[in-house]
Amino acid sequence: MDVDVRSLGASSIVDSLKSIYSLVLLLVLWEAVTRMGLIYPYFLPQLSVVIHEFVVLVSTGQMIHAAYLTLMRAFVGLAGAAVAGVAVGILCARNALFEWFFDPLIKIGYPVPVISLVPVFMLWFGIGDVSKIIMVAVGTFWPIAVNARDATRQVEQNLIRSARMMGTGDRRLLWRVILPAASPGIFTGLQIATPIALIITFVFEMVAGGGGLGALEIAGVRGFNSAQTYAVIFAIIAIGLVLDRLLRAARTRLLDWT
Amino acid sequence: MDGSIGISNLEKVYGEGTERTKAIDDLSFDIDGGEFVSVVGPSGCGKSTLLYIIAGFLDITDGTVSVDGTPIDGPGTDRGVVFQDYALFPWRTVKENVLYGLEEAGVPDEEADATAQRFIDMMDLSGFENKYPKELSGGMKQRVALARTLAYDPKILLMDEPFGALDQPLRETLQDQLIDIWGDLDKTVVFITHDVEEAVYLSERVMIMTRHPGTKKTVTEVDLDRSGPREDIVTSDEFTRKKNEVWRSLREETKSEVQP
Amino acid sequence: MATNELWTPERIPDPFAGVAKLLFDWIPLLLLVLGWEVVSGRAVSESVLPPPTAVAAATVDLFATGEVVPHLAVSLLRVGVGLSLSIVVGVLLGIGMSQSEAVENFFDVFLSLIYPLPKTALVPLALLWLGIGTKTAVLIVFLACLLPIVMNANNAAENVDRNLIRSARMMGTSDRRLFWKVVIPATIPEILTGIRQAIPFAFISLISAELIASEQGMGRLIRDAGSLGRYPAMFATIVIISAVAYTAVYGFEQVRERVLVWT
Ligand SMILES: Nc1ncnc2c1ncn2[C@@H]1O[C@H](COP(=O)(O)OP(=O)(O)O)[C@@H](O)[C@H]1O
Ligand SMILES: [Mg+2]
Repeated sequence: MDVDVRSLGASSIVDSLKSIYSLVLLLVLWEAVTRMGLIYPYFLPQLSVVIHEFVVLVSTGQMIHAAYLTLMRAFVGLAGAAVAGVAVGILCARNALFEWFFDPLIKIGYPVPVISLVPVFMLWFGIGDVSKIIMVAVGTFWPIAVNARDATRQVEQNLIRSARMMGTGDRRLLWRVILPAASPGIFTGLQIATPIALIITFVFEMVAGGGGLGALEIAGVRGFNSAQTYAVIFAIIAIGLVLDRLLRAARTRLLDWT
Repeated sequence: MDGSIGISNLEKVYGEGTERTKAIDDLSFDIDGGEFVSVVGPSGCGKSTLLYIIAGFLDITDGTVSVDGTPIDGPGTDRGVVFQDYALFPWRTVKENVLYGLEEAGVPDEEADATAQRFIDMMDLSGFENKYPKELSGGMKQRVALARTLAYDPKILLMDEPFGALDQPLRETLQDQLIDIWGDLDKTVVFITHDVEEAVYLSERVMIMTRHPGTKKTVTEVDLDRSGPREDIVTSDEFTRKKNEVWRSLREETKSEVQP
Repeated sequence: MATNELWTPERIPDPFAGVAKLLFDWIPLLLLVLGWEVVSGRAVSESVLPPPTAVAAATVDLFATGEVVPHLAVSLLRVGVGLSLSIVVGVLLGIGMSQSEAVENFFDVFLSLIYPLPKTALVPLALLWLGIGTKTAVLIVFLACLLPIVMNANNAAENVDRNLIRSARMMGTSDRRLFWKVVIPATIPEILTGIRQAIPFAFISLISAELIASEQGMGRLIRDAGSLGRYPAMFATIVIISAVAYTAVYGFEQVRERVLVWT
């Protein structure tokens, strides 16, 4: 999904005003309508109340700690999946035995809605960090492996031949040619897997608790403190935006040759 | 090591069963060390296949191909291919591409750097050392490809329609550069092209291949006086005569293609 | 694409080659299932990992007793309605944004905001507004599927070949007809790509919503079976919903190939 999202930053102030007026309008409307008492505050607390709640959650450290837990679970799992997925993906593309063994498994495993395994992982590994991390790893393994495999298959044969004629042996070929040549596709896999890692973590936290943004968010609903739910969503939007920008920046940085 | 190539009774078959295609049929041809030979033939006649077999990229179905009297066994640094699609490493800059073969050979950094720079300068690429391939024009990419192959000093240069995608003035410049390099560096060159004029202009011998499945049809010796400037050579009677000879021979093959 | 070098069909007479190749290709799966059967009850407890035979029996049971039917029906309804809504709204929005700057200026900022947001984070909000059940699940499915469809439709509509439009104009097509005759058909391939990208997210968000905020549906059934210790039934439910997702993904791909033949 390497779709281009038009960036918020427009060339001129007028343009940027044009493109965000609707958001400003919505926020003003939100505050006005809630102040006039037109909406039951449990459904939609005042924007100012949500912002206040956000500040309180951040300053007491609750939000920071929850964000740390969520991101730690998501990224440790993602890291594991990245190592395993890239290895399996490349082996599938380069080795007939691996291809024979893993291709049907990938074909079957890829469309499984992994999130349905949350109760299974609760049964197998409990509700703690380890369980969540393994779940994230299993869920993000597939897109990473598929993208690594397809990227490796598409490495131009003449690049490999070039390297061979210049004296690159079998062992070194992986590091010298295959990995760099497949790296854009591998990176795309990671970009697809990152939101999936967050999805899995949030849902697991909402179902099983144990802290984290998902747990904090759902606690707001259950404790009739909806401002907390909204505040956490603000935080999640911010995290999502930052991660997305970071990945894009990393891509232009690392893959500036593409 | 003199860079001679011996091809005898070469046969190459692709695929199996219903997909079986014979690309090269019973081809024998010897190339001396230091010789410049061009290969022309209708498209699909097996020119690239022949070149890749000499390079060691493809298995031989039958017959033998040897370099310096030894049957080839896979690719080796004694042979360097210049690919039609350049096949530059896109993640490496111009300089890094040219350095690649030297790195693999374990040449010490400073020496490698000097060698790479020499070939970059020779190919008029100075100032572009730190550019990535995507930032270069087709002609520049082809020069980088040539510099990269020359830098690790293979005895034999195998070139697959290297100037096919370039416009005429650029082709001519690169052709003249190639002749200079060949004269200076003492290499065996096997040059594939579909351009008869290019083949006659560049080479000492031109091998014409039959259409699919390809084999050697005729070999034309070209004995031109190459000391003068280009315009003198291409307007000479000898050049025109050889060009027509090769063209006629090739014409027979392309014509027979459209007949039943 | 690399062909399977382990397999050389010459050794087997032709009529059987196709079938044999198919069997050969699926041996790994068979091995996996067999391994699972062997391990279960020996290396790991049967309750932790019920053997495939038990899961198969539970699957049959779930259908025989009719237990799974209402859950499956409600899940299919939710995913179907959510996805259909997102297709309708997504196509309108994507093409609308390409045709009118006002529409684009209005919606762009919201799309940019929800794009990087993992949509399941909105389950609690939907729960807050719509309560437990179908509405919440549909909303989440809708939101999760909306973006890939909007983006692909928008991309396609903005890049409709100028020459195509010009040549249609030259032949006297009016603006309105141009829209229906040229813009829409030209965007269909990419809209289908968007839908294809959306399908997995539809199932992920469906199950997420049902795990968290539903008293019915496959997600809920998985969770209940798990907490009641009916592990074969839990695995069976996962197998069933996975089969549905699998059918949706590969079925849609078949449809897309058919459609793209004439586009
Ligand atoms: N990898 C391959 N598999 C099967 N057939 C091939 C392959 N490569 C080339 N061929 C066939 O071999 C013949 C010669 O191809 P090639 O050497 O590329 O011709 P040329 O370079 O002279 O145009 C053609 O008929 C082509 O279709
Ligand atoms: Mg060719």
